[in-house]
Amino acid sequence: MHVTVDVKGEDTHEVELEAANGRPTYADLLGEVDLSPHEVSVLVDGRPVPEDQPIESEHVTVLRLIKGG
Amino acid sequence: MECNRCDGEAIMHAAYSGAHLCADHFRESLEKRVRRRVRRDDLVPHDATPDDPQTWVIGLSGGKDSVVLTRILHDTFVDDPRIELVGLTIHEGIEGYRDKSLEACVELTDDLEIRHEVVSYEEEFGIRMDDVVEDDPENMAACAYCGVFRRDVLSRYAETLEADLLLTGHNLDDEAQTAMMNVLEGDVAQMAKHFDASLGPLTEREETDEFVPRAKPLRDVPEKEVALYAHVEDLPAHITECPHASEAYRGEIQQLLYNLEENHPGTRHSILSGYEELASIVAREYSGEDGAELRECAECGSTTTREICRKCSLLESLA
Repeated sequence: MHVTVDVKGEDTHEVELEAANGRPTYADLLGEVDLSPHEVSVLVDGRPVPEDQPIESEHVTVLRLIKGG
Repeated sequence: MECNRCDGEAIMHAAYSGAHLCADHFRESLEKRVRRRVRRDDLVPHDATPDDPQTWVIGLSGGKDSVVLTRILHDTFVDDPRIELVGLTIHEGIEGYRDKSLEACVELTDDLEIRHEVVSYEEEFGIRMDDVVEDDPENMAACAYCGVFRRDVLSRYAETLEADLLLTGHNLDDEAQTAMMNVLEGDVAQMAKHFDASLGPLTEREETDEFVPRAKPLRDVPEKEVALYAHVEDLPAHITECPHASEAYRGEIQQLLYNLEENHPGTRHSILSGYEELASIVAREYSGEDGAELRECAECGSTTTREICRKCSLLESLA
């Protein structure tokens, strides 16, 4: 499946995922763009989604954690 | 995916506990953890009364961590006359970056009707971090200079504001990284100091008259969840990285912990809980035999172990 990953404030990636071992999850998608689920949140239509869930959207937004606070 | 506690749609998964939570239950769970930490660390003294309230100064940078901490402490104590909150923001002289986060602090404190104080390195020391990184006379990372100046300002103003407690927004990731760094550097004395300065329950810490005690009530909450809370609650947190950020070793440890957490969920929690237990034993062991004698800095009079404190020697090399 094809997914557009928009890393807010950074790059947009076009990712092609194999659905070999069941449906890929949002965590799998993050792995494709070298991000850990512990350093980002995945938003679908502006709403956060659990990273262990199967991908159900062709476009996701990724919010990176910002140090300092 | 449904929330484990209701029919709502889950917005997050915490692999370390297995929980899937909706926005409402996530919020509730996070607030509960912060309040439990406030209780476990004995932050509210039993003898605090409305006639003699405690002043809690929060280091408020305008980033997600301090904004979330301020909001939860406000909501917890808004009707409790024993606790008065003050936000303290430091402007380091970083063009663009700090100006924007200062706006977030002003918006938040206005909204919550909390007293807010702003101090700048320029007014305090006659320096700006943008210039310090250009000069760099000690050949150090920007954070090394900034940390020394920040600690100085925070502790002096905490005293000026007659603070009983100085609170910062350090989260689980921050503290697990610091714990790992102290362990890997073999710095046992630093673990004891860490416990007495900010980790241990107030009633178990080595008493000191020189410094205002510190506390980190967000330290049970993973960084990602702090950010998610700020997002869900639509808090005015500033979301840009400091342009001078450069803690290379910490970054390496952070990456290591992400990888460990991925394969062994709960690693950060277990690192910190084991470290806290160790640090408490070590703090008792080192108790009363600090070795380093505290004295007044010959330049500024602040408490230090040297003749001239670190801040004054840095300012001298920047002059």
